[in-house]
Amino acid sequence: MHPRLYNAFRYALVVVCGLVLAIPLLFMVSGSLKSAREINAFPQPLLPETPIWQNFADAWNFLTPQVIGNTFIFSLGVVGLQLLISLPAAFALAKIPFKWTGLILATLVVPMFVPANLTLIPLFVVTFQLGWLNSFAGLIIPMAAQCAFAILLFRQFFATLPPGLIEAARIDGAGWPRVFGSIALPLAKPALATFCSISFLTAWNMYIWPLVVAPNPAQRVINVALAPLAGGENSTISPAVGLAGAVIAMIPVLIVFIVLQKWYIKGVVGTGLE
Amino acid sequence: MTAPPLTKTPPPSADAARPLVPAAHPPGRRNRRVDALTATLFVSPAMIGFFIFVIVPAVGGLVLAFFEWDLFGTPVFVGLDNIVRLFTDPDMWQALGVTVLFVVMGVIPTIIIGFLLAVVVNSNMPGIGAWRVLYFTPMIASAAVAAIIWVNLYNGRSGLVNQFLALFGVDGPNWLSDPTWARPALVIMMIWGALPIVIILYLAGLQRVPEDIYAASSLDGAGKWRQLWSMTWPNVWGTTLLIAVLQAVGFVSGSFEIALIMTDGGPLGTTQSLALYSYKVAFTQRDIGYASALSLFQLVLIIVIVLLSRAIVRTRKERS
Repeated sequence: MHPRLYNAFRYALVVVCGLVLAIPLLFMVSGSLKSAREINAFPQPLLPETPIWQNFADAWNFLTPQVIGNTFIFSLGVVGLQLLISLPAAFALAKIPFKWTGLILATLVVPMFVPANLTLIPLFVVTFQLGWLNSFAGLIIPMAAQCAFAILLFRQFFATLPPGLIEAARIDGAGWPRVFGSIALPLAKPALATFCSISFLTAWNMYIWPLVVAPNPAQRVINVALAPLAGGENSTISPAVGLAGAVIAMIPVLIVFIVLQKWYIKGVVGTGLE
Repeated sequence: MTAPPLTKTPPPSADAARPLVPAAHPPGRRNRRVDALTATLFVSPAMIGFFIFVIVPAVGGLVLAFFEWDLFGTPVFVGLDNIVRLFTDPDMWQALGVTVLFVVMGVIPTIIIGFLLAVVVNSNMPGIGAWRVLYFTPMIASAAVAAIIWVNLYNGRSGLVNQFLALFGVDGPNWLSDPTWARPALVIMMIWGALPIVIILYLAGLQRVPEDIYAASSLDGAGKWRQLWSMTWPNVWGTTLLIAVLQAVGFVSGSFEIALIMTDGGPLGTTQSLALYSYKVAFTQRDIGYASALSLFQLVLIIVIVLLSRAIVRTRKERS
């Protein structure tokens, strides 16, 4: 084949395959703007005749600002708390001479290979025993404590800091907290970007944990609110409104993903290859 | 993740630097005590959380499998009763069959489609970055979002899937309530959700395939398609195995949220995997002990998958 023809073919292939993969999401956007009649019609039109923006207002009212606020509290709470406990731990395990380092690392690695749903029941039992059902503490703390990935990711990064840098600061009389706070942390931005993007996406998209631990409206998160719309075809809410709700649920993660895409992918590849 | 090197000076080793430390920080016992104390303080919050919410549940899950408990009363030790019940429970056998089918139907197509798509986007033509985002988007849809979308797509009457089939004169089923088609419908959806990760991992694998192997084969006049299967595919074999294990584990456990939301395990239990069954036993029947035994059984399955993959690696190494 002629090279230029081949390149054109390659480009077309990239675009077509990408669009095929994205069809469900493109449908979500177009469907979210259809009228109730259009979305139930046979044949269903691919695009709405006139976009019904009211669907988004209805979806917003159905979801309620409180649910959206709860989801932000939960996701940012998990990310923040994980940062708070994992960063110092990772720094200590990478840089401070400590005789338990090896044992701690070995303990952290093992449970990483166990899928989360296998520990769902006992984790629920622990949270239940603490009296934390239907509370933000019960929602956030047990998830933030799943910090092995964060610690290992940050430790790997801190380990690449040249020992000379740290020695020099120590000689100048800086204590470990200062070395950590004013030398190691400011350099950790790439690792922070990777971690925050992965952790935020994971927390925002969680369904089963919030469902079993905090089903009450006061702590309900967006995925728990949305899921019933996918269950019944006899729901009183138009499927178009459900799709509008799905769009709303995806906007924050889409923004985070597009902005931090490069770091997110680095993290996924890094964990996959270990 | 590999971080970029931060300074151009080669890092001196800690041992070499130690004798130069001046008196302000004598390398004495006091200093070591400060180190240990600081390390303990830095590590404790994370380790306390890890102990309570990772170690305790892991051990607790094992222990609970030997008890009968409804979450509110006192747990009663029942020995191996839950384990025996496991093997005599027809619902468990059906769920096990569903789990195996999910894995069998899901993993191989995910690998092959993912590999081909990774080869397609593995190029540095202008604007590729923007198009690649399309390939990654299924990853950021949560189970609930994906469920809402696909319930509409699979709708027996107005769904796009059946409209598409109608173009070819095929009268599509009512996917999610049809005992034959509900499972394939969920598998297709799970493949869609799993592809981005597979593509990302294959892209990383393809970067490590040396360019010169293609140069040599172009001279031999090998076609692109043949090149793909006889040169590229064997060269990413390590990635393929990793993906196979990750996806097998993923289909054992990941089928669960989607089935819970979309079909609730039905119709007739055809989409009720082990994970969903143990969830229902725990949270609707409140039979914590038996649910824990079911989880334990899944863990054994996953360990078998991992050991199998190791055995494959070993025999493969011995042959080459």
